[in-house]
Amino acid sequence: MSSAGFWHPVGLSHSIEAGSSAGTRLLARELVIWRDTSGVAHVWEDRCPHRGMKLSFGFVRGDHIACLYHGWQYDRGGYCQYIPAHPDLDVPKTFKVPVYPTQECGGMIWTTLSENSADVPQDCGDTLPLRSLYLDCSGDTAIAALGRLSLTPFASQGPADTIVNRVTETLYEVAAGQDRLLIGVQAIADDRTAMHLAIRGSAELYRGRGQRHFLDWALRLRHLIEHPRNTASAPRSITAEAI
Amino acid sequence: MSESASFVFSGRLRTDAFVEFARHRAARLDLVIYIGSVSDEAITLTVRGASELVDAFEMACSLGPYECLVLDVTRRAGLAA
Repeated sequence: MSSAGFWHPVGLSHSIEAGSSAGTRLLARELVIWRDTSGVAHVWEDRCPHRGMKLSFGFVRGDHIACLYHGWQYDRGGYCQYIPAHPDLDVPKTFKVPVYPTQECGGMIWTTLSENSADVPQDCGDTLPLRSLYLDCSGDTAIAALGRLSLTPFASQGPADTIVNRVTETLYEVAAGQDRLLIGVQAIADDRTAMHLAIRGSAELYRGRGQRHFLDWALRLRHLIEHPRNTASAPRSITAEAI
Repeated sequence: MSESASFVFSGRLRTDAFVEFARHRAARLDLVIYIGSVSDEAITLTVRGASELVDAFEMACSLGPYECLVLDVTRRAGLAA
């Protein structure tokens, strides 16, 4: 199965608020992620069929997204339902945006570009969002770095081995002691990758101090990936404000 | 409102490219299309569908595909003779 047949993470769930939209890329395809006002996330081709404007620049109204350019409105299925310049027109079903299957799991929004894709990652239980890292490297390079950086446990005292597990082709888990980080790997293009990080566990335990603890690890991971020949200079700690 | 309109697109045309282009645009605009006489100088066709979309079809085909240069468009209501 080609990578187009996998389920891919395209963002942290909390980064797309209800009634908002954002653009992203997956395997060099332009996508819009938008969340309707009832909270359902959608991933579509980021292109209005009318004049090609990015729908990610559009605005969400209820369960529709409207193109910024001429106001064409599309329903959840991607069908154009209303054209302001022709308010009486019964819009044909041929005016449709390609839509992709969308699910949310592990605090991330997932999509697949294929109709014959493998299963979406199973329920990961409670998660707490950490952050997304956008990297100028391939997915393989980013994944290889996971095993080169130890994770200091937060919830338990004392040292613990850092273990990297592959959950699916696009989801990894980094474990140390009883702590678990979920890392969704988004192949933006051959030389561009996003990593979406979430803490697996309860908000009660990890909110605040726990998030800051693992954010430091995330930023050191980015430093390691971006400066592979200069790992000796990797700072022991990087504050979020310094990035 | 639905209507039929007949068009003659004339200019420097590559028939296969223009007909493929017209069929694609008609499908996108949910129009029924009948291709009439075809030559490198003029192509006659008829479309039927929503008036607004027939207008959009005329606009699209007046630009034509990359390989063709449309110099003149004649439009007539109803079916082609």
